[in-house]
Amino acid sequence: MSAPHDPHDGHDAHDAHDAHGGHHGSRFIQHHYDDAQHQFDSGKLGIWIFLAQEVLFFSALFVAYVLYRVHHPEIYSYAHKYLQVKFGAINTGVLIFSSLTAAWAVRCAQLSQKTGLMACLAITILCACGFLGIKYKEYSHKIHEHILFGRYFDPCVSSGGEELLTKGNECEASKSNIVYDKAAGKATSGCLAIKKIDQDPKAEGVQATCEVKEVHGGTASPIAHMCPAHVFSDSPGMTDEPEAKAKAEKTEPKEEFPCWEPAYQPAVCKDTEVGILVLYGPDDHQERGEDYKIDATCKDAPAVPAAADPYTNQAGQAMQVGKPAIHRGHELTAHEIRELDEEHEIAGPPPAHTGMFFTIYFAMTGLHGIHVLVGIGVFTWLLYRSWRGDFTPDYFGPIDFAALYWHIVDLIWIFLFPLLYLIH
Amino acid sequence: MPTREPAGPVTEPSYLDVSHGLKSWMLTLDHKRIGLMYLFGILIALIVGGSFALLLRTELWDTGKTIVGQDTYNQFFTLHGAVMVFLVIIPGIPAALGNIMMPIQLGAPDVAFPRLNLASFYLWVTGAIMLVLTIPFGGLDTGWTLYTPYSLASQSAVLIATLGVFVLGFSSIFTGLNFLVTIHKFRPQGMGWFQMPLNVWAIYATAIMQVLATPVLGITVLLLSVERFGHIGIFDPTLGGDPVLFQHFFWFYSHPAVYIMIIPAMGVISELISTFSRKPLFGYRFVAYSSVSLALLSFLVWGHHMFVSGQSRLANMVFSALTFTVGIPSAIKVFNWVATLYKGDIRLKTPMLYALSFLLLFTIGGLTGLFLGILSVDVHLHDTYFVVAHFHYVMMGSTLVAFLGALHYWWPKFTGRWYPESLGKVCSTGVFFGFNLTFLPQFVMGARGMPRRYWDYDPQFRIFHQLSTIGAYVLGLSLFTTVVYLFWSFKNGKKAPRNPWGGSSLEWQAPTPPPLYNFETPPVLHELYNYDDIVEVEEDVWERQLPEHVHEVAAAVATVKAARVEAAASTDVAPTEKNEALVRGIATEESAPVTRDEVRAAVMSGVQTEDIKAAAKLAAMTETAEPAAHRNDEAAAKAEAATEEAVHVAQQLKKKDEEPKS
Repeated sequence: MSAPHDPHDGHDAHDAHDAHGGHHGSRFIQHHYDDAQHQFDSGKLGIWIFLAQEVLFFSALFVAYVLYRVHHPEIYSYAHKYLQVKFGAINTGVLIFSSLTAAWAVRCAQLSQKTGLMACLAITILCACGFLGIKYKEYSHKIHEHILFGRYFDPCVSSGGEELLTKGNECEASKSNIVYDKAAGKATSGCLAIKKIDQDPKAEGVQATCEVKEVHGGTASPIAHMCPAHVFSDSPGMTDEPEAKAKAEKTEPKEEFPCWEPAYQPAVCKDTEVGILVLYGPDDHQERGEDYKIDATCKDAPAVPAAADPYTNQAGQAMQVGKPAIHRGHELTAHEIRELDEEHEIAGPPPAHTGMFFTIYFAMTGLHGIHVLVGIGVFTWLLYRSWRGDFTPDYFGPIDFAALYWHIVDLIWIFLFPLLYLIH
Repeated sequence: MPTREPAGPVTEPSYLDVSHGLKSWMLTLDHKRIGLMYLFGILIALIVGGSFALLLRTELWDTGKTIVGQDTYNQFFTLHGAVMVFLVIIPGIPAALGNIMMPIQLGAPDVAFPRLNLASFYLWVTGAIMLVLTIPFGGLDTGWTLYTPYSLASQSAVLIATLGVFVLGFSSIFTGLNFLVTIHKFRPQGMGWFQMPLNVWAIYATAIMQVLATPVLGITVLLLSVERFGHIGIFDPTLGGDPVLFQHFFWFYSHPAVYIMIIPAMGVISELISTFSRKPLFGYRFVAYSSVSLALLSFLVWGHHMFVSGQSRLANMVFSALTFTVGIPSAIKVFNWVATLYKGDIRLKTPMLYALSFLLLFTIGGLTGLFLGILSVDVHLHDTYFVVAHFHYVMMGSTLVAFLGALHYWWPKFTGRWYPESLGKVCSTGVFFGFNLTFLPQFVMGARGMPRRYWDYDPQFRIFHQLSTIGAYVLGLSLFTTVVYLFWSFKNGKKAPRNPWGGSSLEWQAPTPPPLYNFETPPVLHELYNYDDIVEVEEDVWERQLPEHVHEVAAAVATVKAARVEAAASTDVAPTEKNEALVRGIATEESAPVTRDEVRAAVMSGVQTEDIKAAAKLAAMTETAEPAAHRNDEAAAKAEAATEEAVHVAQQLKKKDEEPKS
């Protein structure tokens, strides 16, 4: 006696064990799915859940962005000017266009248009590469200029050569710090636009010709002697000595010292001990970074005038090295005053922890960039598969899923662009 | 005379025998093998994490230095926590047991994405290796919470650990994703959401949290890693970052993670309590909903970990209030389990002993959680042993105990072997008493002010620490014995039958151990948690027996089939070529299917043949019309009308079905 053997109607799991092929239309339907539709639906749900996961993955960064922006709006309004809107806008266009081609690829796959499919995928890949190319240009510029995150935000120390920090500002970080008396039309502090070098003075031994036993640093240390100009060939205001100056001009400058606000780098020589004290800030009494040693021996340390302040010296001195700049006591023209006003308004001194903006910037765009990179990999694989002819109107899931992924990558950028580039 | 339901001859080899060799395991896509490998790894991790626990309890035997110094002690509790949380209890029930049993409970041949499943497993292995690698590379002394700013300054191998946690997180995300899709897309027809076993419900709720919470942990530990070597400053106060933001992010994951640990346990317990009480689960829908509502609430209470971290007073109050709401779904579950036990025919097998332990321990753990949710009390109890005891009651006393219960419950099914039952009972008793001896004293000393994570303590706490240490050894011995006998029984245990406990869900219809695709004959859906027809034919061998009028019904079903074929052939919704082909398909099909619901209704209540016939006719029309409807708008309207009628008749049938009982 046997009970009714209940037929397993409809969604029959057992059938799924059969080898697939013939009746399912595509050999890519896996054994445990009922049919192509079942596999497609499962994949589609899966990719949507994955995208939800992606949103959450980025969410923490958006929360961090909002949190720091609420607490430190000044950082954002100051720092975003380092970003080049032009590049961001081009990238936005590129990504949106690539989203179109990605969606078009799905349509082509559905219609069995192999050539169209491959063309769409190829364009998507090219756009993605273009996006990363522009991103590379932005990143390398920032790395070059030390417009970086956290403690590495140090834009004045090493911007490349004559290159300017931001649009149209020849001496931005200092110009905006210039204190001036509008009524008198005189600058009460100065700005040195010094030719900047791309060398980190913290790196040991870069100026090495002599041996150092002691380094003087900090404001407490007396500046006993100025180093001879040939050791620090480009240091402004190092010396008034005509011979030394002449020598300095003759010697090809091997190293130059960077500028920070009205900064100068008087070398401190005490007998045979040489060190460098980098001062910056309007008061010249803030120590910048650590003191660093240089392996150099002061063979003969000629006496130099005690007055090391370039502003009290002749104005011309400051100009010898870099571009013309405003110095203390400079008679300001109306044009210059207007410029300074504008400059003060838009730039101002960098707020504390400006690097936080770039932490957020690099974290968000970096993570996004990694997603673009993954997308390139995925689309390349799909391009290969479409060349192989894997996709049919019955089986185009992977194209659809990749396109959905690509849309979210696009969408995240569409949020990043205004949040980072277009804010005020 | 009652009829045994045919179990079907077992002809296919079991999944354990279907292929051999290392490669067949390493590259397997079979969810059961993957689950088994997880289980193996998790049991190893359990021994590792447990050893650290014993070491640190030993150190706390007396004040001052007992066996190790402070730094080593810090590493012990950190590694104990990290290993247990990330490698044992988070993947324990979902990734290991869920992987093995959940698709079978759905009657599915596998999970939706078998390759992704294997990838998740290897991510887990990679993450596990990285966590263990911290030991030779300087250990880990930050506590499992990896709080900044200390984790930025610590000299230990924080970077390896955070990257390990990142990898483990993605293992968990992909597992959750896989399960969500499986549950959505692989339920057999006839199994609606409320015909799913509660274990599946629990895994579903867990998967939601795995997918939505874990990415936040992922990005957090990623940022922490970058912070470690790149000093980006996001969590570093010296660079303007906010260390409390780390806590927010961390708990936004880690609070749901607590529920990722406990909800699958609750699902398992629902199965155990119903099966071993031989009673339908009381308040099935409430238990199902409470799993999902716990999952949703879990996202709203993370702030209660940070009452003393300088959160605003308003935030504290809101988080405190929300914390109490968690009590509601938890209590719903406990009350329903107790109501299920009431007047049940309770069988005290090892899994049930664990389930009863769970009930008690979870209640204690849950209620002490409410103490900590009270703002003023939390200020006093924060970072004391009270907190330690509380979360061990939930994480270990509840989750691990439920894991062990589930392991014993399903062990005969997926290994095909019995574990030694009497030893199992001894060990489960040992776990219960050892656990309480370990952690009850911690409540007392915590309330008296003993801070957690301290290497040394005031002599007034000595007695509590010593009791706790003794308990830890009892617990450790019981667990170790359990792991050993389980490994032993895998090869040497007595052969287990198809349905050793009289369970009602689909896994008990599968052969023991199941074949590669789980079922040789398609499983038959019966009413879930209804044990009326399941009888113990000999000790620990249960079979489903059908009522006597089964022949009558069989005849009726045959008539129905004929009627369906007729209906399909004569249906007037076949104007197109495709529709005709479809009709032909049905007509030539050897046995036109009848829905299981119909058969069940017929079998259970002995309704009139005519009724079944009518229903089937309509069902046949509907089925014929529906696929065609995609291509034919005219047919769609007719199909809709037919569906409505079919629903109506089905309701009538259901009414009849219920009448004889009342």
